[in-house]
Amino acid sequence: MRDDTLFKELEKEIFICAQCNFCRICPVYYEEGWESSSPRGRIYLLKGILKREIKFEEIEGIVQDFFKCTTCGICEVVCQTSIPLIEIWEKAREVFVKRKGPLKAHERIRNSALKNGNPYGEELNKRDEWFKQLSENFEIKKAELVYFAGCTASYRMNEIAKSVVSILNKAGVDFSYAGRDEYCCGSPFLRTGQRDLAIEFFKKNYREWRKRGVKKILTSCSGCFRTIKKDYPVIAKELGYAWNFEVIHVSQLLLELINEKKLKVRKKKLKATYHDPCHLGRHMGIYEEPRRVLELSGIELIEMEDNKERSLCCGAGGGVKSQFKDLAMKIGKKRVAQAENIGVKMIISSCPFCKLHLKQASEGKLEVIDLVELIDKFS
Amino acid sequence: MKSIPNSIHPVQLYLYSHDITSPPFLIKLFISKPKAVYQPRNENEILEILNYARDNRLNVIPRGAGTSGYGGVLPYSPYNSIIIDFFRMKEFEIDEKQKILIAEPGVVWWDVERELNKVGLSLRVYPTSAPASTIAGWISAGGYGVGSLRYGGIAENVERLRIADFSGVRETEDIHLFSGLHGTTGIITKAWIKLKEYEEYNAVAFHVSIDEAVKLVENWKNYIYSAFFLSSEYITAKNQVFRDDVQYEVPEKDTLVIVGVENSKQLLNLSNLKIGNPQLGEHLWDLRFYSMRVKRLGPTLIISEVILPYNSIPEYVKKMKKMGAMIEIWFNKNNVTSLSFFLADERKVGYTLAWRKSIKAMKLAYSLGGKAYSTGLYLAHHSPKVIEEYYELLNYKKKIDPLNLLNYGKVFPKGRLPTLMKIAELIS
Ligand code: SF4
Ligand code: SF4
Repeated sequence: MRDDTLFKELEKEIFICAQCNFCRICPVYYEEGWESSSPRGRIYLLKGILKREIKFEEIEGIVQDFFKCTTCGICEVVCQTSIPLIEIWEKAREVFVKRKGPLKAHERIRNSALKNGNPYGEELNKRDEWFKQLSENFEIKKAELVYFAGCTASYRMNEIAKSVVSILNKAGVDFSYAGRDEYCCGSPFLRTGQRDLAIEFFKKNYREWRKRGVKKILTSCSGCFRTIKKDYPVIAKELGYAWNFEVIHVSQLLLELINEKKLKVRKKKLKATYHDPCHLGRHMGIYEEPRRVLELSGIELIEMEDNKERSLCCGAGGGVKSQFKDLAMKIGKKRVAQAENIGVKMIISSCPFCKLHLKQASEGKLEVIDLVELIDKFS
Repeated sequence: MKSIPNSIHPVQLYLYSHDITSPPFLIKLFISKPKAVYQPRNENEILEILNYARDNRLNVIPRGAGTSGYGGVLPYSPYNSIIIDFFRMKEFEIDEKQKILIAEPGVVWWDVERELNKVGLSLRVYPTSAPASTIAGWISAGGYGVGSLRYGGIAENVERLRIADFSGVRETEDIHLFSGLHGTTGIITKAWIKLKEYEEYNAVAFHVSIDEAVKLVENWKNYIYSAFFLSSEYITAKNQVFRDDVQYEVPEKDTLVIVGVENSKQLLNLSNLKIGNPQLGEHLWDLRFYSMRVKRLGPTLIISEVILPYNSIPEYVKKMKKMGAMIEIWFNKNNVTSLSFFLADERKVGYTLAWRKSIKAMKLAYSLGGKAYSTGLYLAHHSPKVIEEYYELLNYKKKIDPLNLLNYGKVFPKGRLPTLMKIAELIS
């Protein structure tokens, strides 16, 4: 079997590309300016490989540009010929990793995750420290709903995980939490061509959920949400595992709880903008729920110039933040500037990774807060 | 030169050696890779590149978004060339009072439109590749676009150009020396484009034959902004590829879309036919940039683009339908632009033969008083027929570019490709 079997699978889509460059609105191409870092250029590169006009040996020194993609998905939205571009980026990265190995930073996060179950290089036994710090002593029960906190909220953005638990408690929702038995969902590895590792994490998480009798999985991270809701069923099918879990994002749950009057929100007068996380919006089509939650909380939502389907990526996803820090920061700053241009002082998002990155990019100029934190404060 | 952003990586060069066409094997023999790609940030850097090219006898190929289909931006083998990509020159200003846009070459049409609308202005004309194509790219390729029914071709809507060549930089109002000439007579460094007030458009669709469509447009010409016709075969194909995106299927009939500023009712009354469908009109108008979506059925699309006088369109359309073409026609002030699409598969043997369809389409257009839409590399041998004042332009070219380095072989035929193309036309 040839290594580029994956390319073969995608051959028809690759040949469909009209080279029209509508996808030039890619936030990475906008910063970099070279065809090699544009969606069109990448497709043309793959076409070149398929046609054997480019040899694998020749891509040395340029293949890293293929990884300068946050998997934000805006190229797919505007694509003249409706090509499933994200799938192509991910599959092609897999081939490149097989041939050339992962990029340095991606290898680092791989090694760290292999050892500790998270890409941050933190110890596995510290994963549930945030939970232990909670003032109320929550008992971990056997419940149908499991809260999957994810690596970023567990190790970097604790306040988001704490707010989720606080809200579940206020609304009287029974839930379980896997603590140290929770592993990275695998999203960073799926996005950076290291699917093998994501499959290992899938197995660990799956085993744990089955053991706990879980029926429903709640995530507060958009990356985890996409991975568990969209990628896990595919992996399960490949492995021959049954998949019958319901997966929800906290923005959906918040709306449900408010509508059902299980969560009372004190209306606050506040002006803010909402940043659509790519993995929640474009990848999963969730635009309205977070907006409706904000509306019900009395928040005056002012939209940035690029929003919803056309939203500008924060710049961090797809392994870009770890490997190409400056690029990620440039895109992040552009997003922050869009918020500044409409005169708001607060950006609300619904993903710990977006929060982490936009907070760094805003350098204290704006407050960056997660939807769940805000609602926790108001309820 | 070294300080100008550039790349010489062989794969990068490969990525800059195409436009939207997938030429067959025989033509590919004439396409090579450039020696380097440069991305100048200002006019001085363009001049530096030109001097370097002259000193080293390198052909200079200006490249916008590469969204044309005539080979105008392709490196012509076996000649050595460098490509200038204007990605880093995309500043623009809007003179609201004079209603003029002043833009650097790499500005993208639709980026401009977005900003113009904020101040109550709008482009008069733009290409159907507007979401990607650049200001200088379209001016250099020449031709017509959306709005050309009311405002004419792009050349009529450019007020002034700033041009760099081997003797320096100058400003000119002689637009015909540059528009449609693919950068063979100088490099556009700035353009002044005429604008108009922003207007809300209403689009209405009519299921009429091509004969009726031509009559209707001729009658309404002075009242409307734009009009286009889609053949039933093209709509059938569109229905297959847009199925997931839209709620309803478009009736698979020949369809004319009229776009005007009057409200739909007035347009309907104007027709006296009472068969207009505003909802369908708006829908097809919204999809105007997505003419190549049907490529999903290919995966290759062979496109033949020709200019025709109004009176020969019905015959042309009927004959093209017999050839199995899917047709889109845009009505201009004094002629029409006709696009014929053929599905093909470049991976299969026999693809070269499929290209003959586009040659046949062009020959048919000539027999009906029409001509090729543009020339570039592939159709350089048509230039004397396509370009008015061709010989005057040739003299101008010789004067300003005695070494023939500005986009060698484009528009002004040179090398062996024109002979091959002539033979292909003879046997098609
Ligand atoms: S997914 Fe986003 S970052 Fe990646 S190529 Fe598409 S537009 Fe660019
Ligand atoms: S928008 Fe789609 S068809 Fe056009 S160049 Fe990009 S990937 Fe290709």
